[in-house]
Amino acid sequence: MQQVNPEPAQVEGNNKKDKKLALKVKRDIQSLPQIYDVAVVRGKKDTLVVYKVKHMHRMRMKQIEKDINKMLEKNYPKENFTVSSDFKIFIEAIELKDKMENQSYSEKEAEEKLQKVIELKKAMT
Amino acid sequence: MGRKTSPSPVEKGYQELQKKHELKRPVFKNCIRAFLVGGFICTIGQAITYFYIYYFDFTEQTAGNPTVATMIFLSMLLTGFGVYDHIGQFAGAGSAVPVTGFGNSVISAAIEHRTEGMVLGVGGNMFKLAGTVLLFGVFSAFIVALVRTLLTMWGVL
Repeated sequence: MQQVNPEPAQVEGNNKKDKKLALKVKRDIQSLPQIYDVAVVRGKKDTLVVYKVKHMHRMRMKQIEKDINKMLEKNYPKENFTVSSDFKIFIEAIELKDKMENQSYSEKEAEEKLQKVIELKKAMT
Repeated sequence: MGRKTSPSPVEKGYQELQKKHELKRPVFKNCIRAFLVGGFICTIGQAITYFYIYYFDFTEQTAGNPTVATMIFLSMLLTGFGVYDHIGQFAGAGSAVPVTGFGNSVISAAIEHRTEGMVLGVGGNMFKLAGTVLLFGVFSAFIVALVRTLLTMWGVL
């Protein structure tokens, strides 16, 4: 299966605690057998977690999202997560991560973009 | 309704003769055609969905609305140019069941009644076929929404 498997990214580039947390979240999600690609972007307050579900498990997408939410809430009770399996959100997360690697892209811009992606995830129509 | 009587020997003979000469419907062939053409239409729909996801701010969840609108618009154009009739004749249900069949039913009714004038002809008959789809679609959506609301209120969902 073709994977992007991006490194976890954080808005505050030098924050080691954030980096560690993002990496741990990514490993936690990746350990689930139904999932094959995970992107994690850590913002100042929110953390965006996007994943792809294996084809044969796509019938149970809602249950998988529920399970992930439960697991994250249990393991990281103080953190605020936005979980999505939407392909568009995945593309946006990769794009944001690529932009963040560019030195000229400021932390403020990155946080704004992350908030926009989270808003897009919440859109229903 | 007339009385049901057993067919006379002459009628029976005629029915047998008719059965002998009747062309058999190629059901399997029709199914294959419907499957292939219907699948092809859905593949185009999927491509349009990805187009909206990649180039516009639509998510997988929200890209359905513009995709449906685009597919209906395309089938309306194809009906107007007379292409969709051929597709319909070839594929049968394969072209009628996807949402493109809805666009076809609207425009074909409009074209058929064009000679009767714009208001009473086109306007009055445009939804002759598609009207039932709309009516029962809206009605069943209402019923489902009602059931869901009640179940949510009672704490089942």
